[in-house]
Amino acid sequence: MSLLAVHRLTMHYTTKMGEVHAVDAVSFAIEPGEAIGLVGESGCGKTSIALALLRLLPDNARFLGGEVLFEGVDLTRIPEEKMRKIRGRGISMIFQAAMNSLNPVYRVGDQIIEAIQTHLPIGSKEARRRVAELYELVGLAPELMDRYPHEYSGGMKQRAVIAMALACEPKLIIADEPTTALDVIVQDRILRRIDGVRRRLNMAMMYISHDIAVIAEVSQRIGVMYAGCLVECADTLTIFKRPAHPYTTALMSAFPSIKGEKRKLQALPGEPPNLLRPPSGCRFHPRCPYATETCVRQVPDYQEIEPGHFLACWHPQGRGS
Amino acid sequence: MVAPSALKREPLWRIRLRLWTRSLQKNWALFWESRIGPIGLGIILFFVLLMIAHPILMATVWDPRVYDPVVGFDRDLLGRHPAPPSWAHPLGTDPIGRDVLSQLMWSTRSAFALGVTSALITVIIGTVIGAVCAYFGGIVDTIFMRLADLVMLFPFIALLMVLRSVIHLDLWRLALVMGILSGFGGITIILKAQALTVKVKPYIEAAKVAGGSAFHIIRHHIIPNIMPLAFLYMMFNVTGAVFTEAVLSYFGLLDIRMSWGIMIHTAESAGYLGAFSQYWWLWAPPGAAITLLCFAFYLVGRGLDTVVNPRLRKR
Amino acid sequence: MLRYIGWRLAQIIVTFFLFLTVVFFLFQAMPGDYTKQFIMNPKIPPEARQVLAQRLGLTGSVWDQYRNYVRNVFTGNLGFSFQYYPREVWDVIKERLPRTAVLFLVADLLAFALGYPLGKYIAWRRGQISDYVVTVTGVFFYTIFTPLLAIILLFLFSHVLGWFRSGGFLTPTLWLRPPVEPQRVFLLLTATIVGLLGLWAASFLFTRRIGHPRPRAWARRGMVFLALALAVLAWHESGIGRYAWDIVWHMFLPVAAVTLISFGGIMLLMRDSMLEVIREDYITTAKAKGLPDRVVRDKHAARTALLPTITSFTIGLGFIVSGGIVTETMFSWKGMGLTYLEAVLQQDFPLAMGCLTFTGILVLLAHLVVDVLYALLDPRISY
Repeated sequence: MSLLAVHRLTMHYTTKMGEVHAVDAVSFAIEPGEAIGLVGESGCGKTSIALALLRLLPDNARFLGGEVLFEGVDLTRIPEEKMRKIRGRGISMIFQAAMNSLNPVYRVGDQIIEAIQTHLPIGSKEARRRVAELYELVGLAPELMDRYPHEYSGGMKQRAVIAMALACEPKLIIADEPTTALDVIVQDRILRRIDGVRRRLNMAMMYISHDIAVIAEVSQRIGVMYAGCLVECADTLTIFKRPAHPYTTALMSAFPSIKGEKRKLQALPGEPPNLLRPPSGCRFHPRCPYATETCVRQVPDYQEIEPGHFLACWHPQGRGS
Repeated sequence: MVAPSALKREPLWRIRLRLWTRSLQKNWALFWESRIGPIGLGIILFFVLLMIAHPILMATVWDPRVYDPVVGFDRDLLGRHPAPPSWAHPLGTDPIGRDVLSQLMWSTRSAFALGVTSALITVIIGTVIGAVCAYFGGIVDTIFMRLADLVMLFPFIALLMVLRSVIHLDLWRLALVMGILSGFGGITIILKAQALTVKVKPYIEAAKVAGGSAFHIIRHHIIPNIMPLAFLYMMFNVTGAVFTEAVLSYFGLLDIRMSWGIMIHTAESAGYLGAFSQYWWLWAPPGAAITLLCFAFYLVGRGLDTVVNPRLRKR
Repeated sequence: MLRYIGWRLAQIIVTFFLFLTVVFFLFQAMPGDYTKQFIMNPKIPPEARQVLAQRLGLTGSVWDQYRNYVRNVFTGNLGFSFQYYPREVWDVIKERLPRTAVLFLVADLLAFALGYPLGKYIAWRRGQISDYVVTVTGVFFYTIFTPLLAIILLFLFSHVLGWFRSGGFLTPTLWLRPPVEPQRVFLLLTATIVGLLGLWAASFLFTRRIGHPRPRAWARRGMVFLALALAVLAWHESGIGRYAWDIVWHMFLPVAAVTLISFGGIMLLMRDSMLEVIREDYITTAKAKGLPDRVVRDKHAARTALLPTITSFTIGLGFIVSGGIVTETMFSWKGMGLTYLEAVLQQDFPLAMGCLTFTGILVLLAHLVVDVLYALLDPRISY
């Protein structure tokens, strides 16, 4: 059984200006210990999915359908009390701009201990020992436990937040843009560390980023999102070498390759659609060079075109239509 | 979107007007959404109506000799003043025979005049000082901030109690004094903080590079950007001014002819406040009026707060 | 920390000095040389007048008088009161000051005890009906005309229900031949209150050992409760408990009035502050950790929101002091406020100046206390 199976998750935001169709019939699965990356432009719904999984959406969000099966239990239907037990313990999350994830008036170590003691019946001494272990795992000196967040550097804060997410040994960690606010060198280091920890503890991970290079480094599978829809999902190699969706292809060609031949970078014309009034049918059709009448009229089905390779497109690339 | 060719033809003032009306509409929508803002506005409107109604009534239905708020006297009820409410006098009469309702309505005018004037003066002074301090910094800043600390240290009413022996405090002088005193106080700190956030914006730097003088920058860039906040605080200042005047009048320390505070003071000094329920029309209407007007302006202020400070909005 | 306090004290002294100067010149501007007033006081025999005039530095130029005044203030000599001659100003203030202090201390604490939780709950429940109702109520109490509130309270509780006395400090008939001076009883009462407060603050330190937050809170409450019970017992046994209770009885209404007004302000401040804090990322993170809603609200949001509330509260201190004058007058509570008003009306300038000066000192000290408190509560402040 998959660790996490999301099936046609749909969610809108209600705003003064109308309904924002943020997430539309998204389906994917994560196996235990697997690392999957979710990639897409800003505003395509990646963070909304993450928040939806943990039921941390803001008040104006409306859940419209689908199911989220975590170890067989549908998270969309369980009471809040049960959901609370899963947050931090079964699934935990590292937020974007983790700098602000730590409460400035409490010691960092105490905040991690808080996370531990919420879910596990462990006394203070034992909890402190665990925090020390976690710190070593992420590469922080254990003495820093008793310091305040403002005494940490950006990279240190990030590592502390990662340690906090790992505290209760969750089965799945969602990392939303874990390295965006850091400089490149630290980025690399943190990524490697996260990946190393993941492997060691055999946790599943969902990386969310707009930076495909980052995603590719650490994910075994990649899901590509566009305008609230998951348009393609396959293992990393396939996505890079044999992308089937025109959007994915466009993403790949926007990349310079160090090894390959020199070629002109192709940028995709147009802009992502306004999710207040998304395009009919396939949401990518206004920018797609291969769009036809079918694409305008009908939403493409999300199908498995090859083992492990899912696609929502009427005209898959390189496979005829 | 305006076609490029049309851009040359539309006059600048027309564009400005359009932008202005649009932002006004947007702000009004936000204000309305705050719910409490419109309630306050409604109450203020009620008082404005009261204020307007008085001269109309005096000119038509009411006999000035009886109903004049200051010098009126009702002969018919001689010996029974202060008389309880009746058809002739919906809110009764005060100890010296004047109609309470007439007094109430007339005092609305002085309350508005005092409140708005005082608040306006405060805000003007506060804005200028705040902007100047933010822009120049240094010793100018230090002086005015220390001054503000000092001003805030003084209990306002206590100070006015002393000043009244020095200056003959009628309505306008009181407004002036209150306005000036408040103007140098806490509001400068708040507006300066706001002005500082404007000062570090890139367009200020651009203006300086383009050769704008300090005066020009302050006047055209900094001040317009702190005006919304200043306007907001003006509401709170009206509350404070009306409240202060009422308290001082209640203690009989002012030289105003008629105000709500004076109404209660008259009742008290004539000894009618001891038996609370018996002569309720002497203290309840003016007391309620003072409270309601202060309350209304404060609500409007809070409503504006949600417009100016996006974090406080519902969404 | 000591250096910080030292630095703040130095600033305070400078500010106080300026304050003093303004006060002095303000009263100097009074029409009619007040020294003549004093000299004309029929209670003073002519011979003594000269001596007094010299002693008080009423002779000489304005600058001499100013220098004398400042010197006198710093040595504790605030002159003689005109009204209560031959009592010294300092003597009168010494008597009245604790009353105001207790009134405001108790009232502010109650206001905080009410306003903090309410502001907390209401900010958490944004946009619901209770939010609007409570906000409007808070604004109402904040802007209500103080004499009106006093009249209503007196009317309701004293007149209609007869529960409380209609003002004053104590019941004269009870105190006809008291074993102890009322002032002494009052000071003991003050000491009790301050002691209990100190214990409550200290209880935070004592119970730090206890690991989990829930039992810790209960231990704190237990300590304070025990102390309170002991205090009541002690008073009861002492024989003068009746008198203390009489004073407390009289305190109810004025405290209620000040509490209601302050509570509105604090609640609004707390609500605004919470709304800002709720938007922060660490609140979402706390929820993501699986913490119960209540813990997120109380431990994370409210605690952080408390800091700006304290700062804003300090700024409003001047307003509260002004309000105190009105409240004390309405309830005939013989504290600094009432004394000041009477002094001004009776043109007892030394007393008025003394009151104002003292109020200045107290406000400045309050600022200092709050600053220190803030520095202790916010780990980002280094000292």
